[in-house]
Amino acid sequence: MSRVPCALVWDPAVTGYKFRPDHPFNPRRLELAVSLIEALGLVDGGLAKTVAPRTATEAELLAVHSREYLDAVRRFSGGADKAGAGRWGLGTDDTPIFSGMHDITALVSGATIRAAELVMRGEVTRAFSICGGLHHAHRDRASGFCVYSDLAAAIAWIRREHGGKVMYIDYDAHHGDGVQGIFYDDPDVLTLSLHESGRYLFPGTGFVDELGDGDGYGYSLNVPLEPFTEDDSWLDIHRKLIPEVMEAYRPDVVILQSGCDGHALDPLTHLRASTKLYEETTRIVCEAADRVCGGRVIATGGGGYAVWKVVPRAWTLVWGVLSGQEVPNRIPHEWLNRWQGEAPEMLPPHVRDAEEDHRPVPRRQEIEATNRRTLESLRRQALPLIRGWGLGF
Amino acid sequence: MLVKKRMTHDPVVVSPRHSLADALRLTRERRIRHLPVVDDGVLVGIVSDRDVRTAMPSTLTEPDAERVAFLDRTPISAVMRTDVDSIGPLDTVEDAAKLMRRRRIGALPVVDAHGAVLGILSESDVLDAFVEILGPANASSRLEIGMADRAGELARAMRVIGEELHVNVCSLMVPPGKPDERRVAIVHVNTIDPRETIAALEAAGFEVGWPSLESDLRQGGFA
Repeated sequence: MSRVPCALVWDPAVTGYKFRPDHPFNPRRLELAVSLIEALGLVDGGLAKTVAPRTATEAELLAVHSREYLDAVRRFSGGADKAGAGRWGLGTDDTPIFSGMHDITALVSGATIRAAELVMRGEVTRAFSICGGLHHAHRDRASGFCVYSDLAAAIAWIRREHGGKVMYIDYDAHHGDGVQGIFYDDPDVLTLSLHESGRYLFPGTGFVDELGDGDGYGYSLNVPLEPFTEDDSWLDIHRKLIPEVMEAYRPDVVILQSGCDGHALDPLTHLRASTKLYEETTRIVCEAADRVCGGRVIATGGGGYAVWKVVPRAWTLVWGVLSGQEVPNRIPHEWLNRWQGEAPEMLPPHVRDAEEDHRPVPRRQEIEATNRRTLESLRRQALPLIRGWGLGF
Repeated sequence: MLVKKRMTHDPVVVSPRHSLADALRLTRERRIRHLPVVDDGVLVGIVSDRDVRTAMPSTLTEPDAERVAFLDRTPISAVMRTDVDSIGPLDTVEDAAKLMRRRRIGALPVVDAHGAVLGILSESDVLDAFVEILGPANASSRLEIGMADRAGELARAMRVIGEELHVNVCSLMVPPGKPDERRVAIVHVNTIDPRETIAALEAAGFEVGWPSLESDLRQGGFA
């Protein structure tokens, strides 16, 4: 593996994106992940460096959100009466209002835009906006822990400043409905989301027949996975589909939402991945991007609710692959000592899950067969559209 | 659910004097399979693309020119079905679906009291309606709640979700079961994190499935 110039966009200030002390979207996971990356010596100030985020401008947010929504978030952030907040998806158990919400979400959005700037200006080949990935935010509505769409704002920034085509890949366990919706009729932004089927899981969308609209028909792709899907079946789909779509679409840059809530230990989903999924998928994406778009990948975080046992390890592996560094498997004692006291459960000693940690799923064969059928159905419907009717298919 | 809410309004209709060529062209251009036949403002029959094809001379025995001439000169009245089933706009989609199954037909013209065609309800419209009923209305998580078939049980479950936890139920379906059998309510709740809802329902004595109560879907098959 050879080193790749790579930026980790990070500042402890982003942990202010916090709804309530007991809320599942817990920013402590970001500190855990970044401190593990540092403890393993995977940032060195040279090829692998930390870069501070900036705040997204109002214009950058208005490129993907309505003026009315932005004004509403500002008003509620400043303590305005909560009546009517529900209309904007705010003030719910999932996405409660907190003081300073507008400013901190603008900073989170700015972190992902900063990652895009660094990559598009050629300062680095890849970047990781670890606090980003708010893929449920819609043009005029908050949803599922997401207020503003850092992802859509960064994509819109790339389109405006550099033109070109953007491929958005999202393997968070929940469907990336916000980003899909914002670019649903845009052929210059291809969205590909792989997630636990909306038949059971929030937000209840992301089926194969959601293919886009108007000029964007064929540029929204969805692979709804069966509950209890494991590494092999999931990775098989990534290996077949991601390079195939990327080579057909030929984007100029890839955005990768790396939510790690599809891990077997995650309490909010029913998928059964191990840490291998995160390391391998990042590799699949980076290798395809090396062939197609000069290796340019802008990764973000996303979901991940096994805060102590999964998120730090999964995102350390993502960072390792992005920056072209082998991640040592043993977790340093200093890191364990620093956090074990606060952790409500025993922290694992290794970065990667061991095979024997995984309890096999009894219905594996049927699950794999269903996932294969889903993949084939999507390929039949979408690939001719991406390639142009009848070309090479 | 009423037929008028799900039908296609102002469908393409033909007169009995139109030619089969016209009928075939319309079904192709508009991508439809059924054409209500209207005379003097009143439904008199229905013709499908299949009826036209069945009436056509064989490709094996007749030259193309002869087939084209046949389509041009034959009026729709020669092949249309005149014993046509129809339905009213205020009938229910359930009744329409049953009629379509019983008569093995793919579409029903929707007519007013005078026989004028208001719309057409196709198999696809019926399927769309059921898909919509079974699916989520808003961003939500789907739970299955097992409960005794007894007055007040459903209300009690809804009170736990709505009043104890202030979580919004955005759709609810309780398929019928045999008397005294356990009933399963399928509920979409407006949250990405249903863990508290599940815990509260279980504490109140309900069985909850997420993703499902089906043993094949629990823990990937651990019964």
